[in-house]
Amino acid sequence: MEKIKVGQGDLVQMNWDPISRIIGNLGVYTKIDFKNGQVGECKVTSSLFRGYSVFMKGKDPRDANFITSRICGICGDNHATCSVYAQNMAYGIKPPPLADWMVNLGEAAEFMFDHTLFQDNLVFVDFCEQMVKETNPSLLAKAEQTAAPHAELHGFRTIADIMRAFNPFEGSVYKEALQIGRLTREMCCLMEGRHVHPSTLYAGGVGTVATPQLFTDYQVRLLNLLDFVKKAVPLNDDLFDFFYEALPGYEEVGRRRIQLACWGSFQNPRVVDYRYANMNDWGRSMFVTPGVIVDGKALTNNLVDINLGMRILLGSSFYDDWNAEETLVTHDPLGNPVDQRHPWNQTTLPHPQKRNFDGGNYSWVMSPRWFDPQSGEMLPLETGGGPLARLWSTALAGLVDTPYVKATGSSVRIQLPRSANLPETEFEWKVPQWCNTIERDRARMYFVAYAAAMALYFIDQAMNEIRAGNTRTFTDFAVPEEGLGVGFHEAVRGCLSHHLVIRDGKIANYHPYPPTCWNSSSTDSDGVPGPMEEAVTNTPIFEENGQDGFKGIDIMRTVRSFDPCLPCGVHMYLGGGKVLKESHVPMMGMVGRAKRP
Amino acid sequence: MKKEESIRTGKPKVKPTALTHVRGVRCGNKPGSYEKEPGHQPDGRSNARRSTGINAEARNPILPEMPNLSPA
Repeated sequence: MEKIKVGQGDLVQMNWDPISRIIGNLGVYTKIDFKNGQVGECKVTSSLFRGYSVFMKGKDPRDANFITSRICGICGDNHATCSVYAQNMAYGIKPPPLADWMVNLGEAAEFMFDHTLFQDNLVFVDFCEQMVKETNPSLLAKAEQTAAPHAELHGFRTIADIMRAFNPFEGSVYKEALQIGRLTREMCCLMEGRHVHPSTLYAGGVGTVATPQLFTDYQVRLLNLLDFVKKAVPLNDDLFDFFYEALPGYEEVGRRRIQLACWGSFQNPRVVDYRYANMNDWGRSMFVTPGVIVDGKALTNNLVDINLGMRILLGSSFYDDWNAEETLVTHDPLGNPVDQRHPWNQTTLPHPQKRNFDGGNYSWVMSPRWFDPQSGEMLPLETGGGPLARLWSTALAGLVDTPYVKATGSSVRIQLPRSANLPETEFEWKVPQWCNTIERDRARMYFVAYAAAMALYFIDQAMNEIRAGNTRTFTDFAVPEEGLGVGFHEAVRGCLSHHLVIRDGKIANYHPYPPTCWNSSSTDSDGVPGPMEEAVTNTPIFEENGQDGFKGIDIMRTVRSFDPCLPCGVHMYLGGGKVLKESHVPMMGMVGRAKRP
Repeated sequence: MKKEESIRTGKPKVKPTALTHVRGVRCGNKPGSYEKEPGHQPDGRSNARRSTGINAEARNPILPEMPNLSPA
């Protein structure tokens, strides 16, 4: 096995490329100090070039939402929605209120679907009995002896029982989550016509015919879901609290400085007019408040500041600089100067080359940063997997106040009404002490409860429109010869923006910036690592396997806490030409596992 | 696969790079489209004509103060 000596510790190279149970193009290259039990270095790389910003040029802007939806196979509707927001701004239109309520309902269903699937079917495989037995047998023994504090709510007596319920293909939570996935996708289809690439969502509104039955169909499914959510939140809390208790110091796994980004979600149709000039007002009235959180404090909740602060650095990516290219937007509609490194002015110039981790380029992901005008820093913001930033920003802002969800300034209170088997329940997500692996994962199920509670509110509002006879769901528009638009939204795994420039009635520039661009960004030209790289670096190793049987479970938990998505195989490179290839079906190899030395 | 084994298809009429929206084709988003939609009223409400073209007026509510909620 190859050993690389750096400083005093012996660092062993350990690489995972691609990572399984996420979208299949992410590689994590680490150097681990087994003597001191921590990760010494980490580089995160993507070997896949997509090129949406290249081939969108010259297309009809009305096609943008249908094309960009294909960016992702799991949160495509988030992209479609974000694109629609950008187009609404560029065309100068505002959809009827009912259309915005319906989009909110579709997106709430998407959040519930995707978070449940990712948490229970993908993330929890890292916390299941089978995995813990292989990586931390003494922890499993302790879990067998530890009573679950909320056993009366979720029905699992011990923490080990919870872990057993996460076992892939067999565990009860794993199987129930698949059922919930079906239910929530149906809800999304009701509002947006199709999941995951919506067919009835477009600039100016939705094509879904709004009838009372549409909303009751949605509501029936939502109420069926509530029992699951009421059990899932305390079940998640029991498991994560156990990890803190049983493994002292586990809070350091995946921990980094708090630098969170949330671009806001769920428009408020009473306020939003999609005009750039009023963007701060309608941004702050969103039902998930946008914000940049640094060191536990909100730097801003203004979408205009957020927009102008965006900088796309080349970092260690395979692209050429666009400094000499045309500046399409010198000033925003308010007269503020727009930087050449802003997405509106970006020209993507791909330059494929050999991967070089020693001070060279190694990834297709650029380095989006947010320029903090106060400190002058280029901040490597992360999304905390999505829910952590959303809840944190919403909690601190204290602006969301609905019958079901209330932000208090330090927490978010979520009220769920009585459902089939369980009484009225209140959850409170409190701003945590750390931004780490466990808190990223914990926030996820709270956000499912948040989305469910908001959906109840959106149904009420949509039904009010219907009862008043306001059934209009779309508005006419003409595509302007010249236009400028930006959409701010939340993809399931975090902040999402689409920047659009129209010239001669066609797309002159289009730049989607999805959350994983921020999370898995490469080390920038100032040597600042991307969020995922920083979170893995210095992570302590709690795994009981030695160097030879090392699975990297703590690293995998950290990477997956950011919620990259979808499965493939694993090839583990141990250095010195020794390669362990392990191919298996998506879930940890319960079935069809094939090992080769 | 050899040429003779492949499935016989016609010549493609559209290039993969063609735009979805072609000049001359009616656009649903065009200003004035809403007014042309049967059953959709200028004030944002709708009536039974939205759902059916067959004897639609007879399917409206029997009293004017009742909400007019036609099926999909």
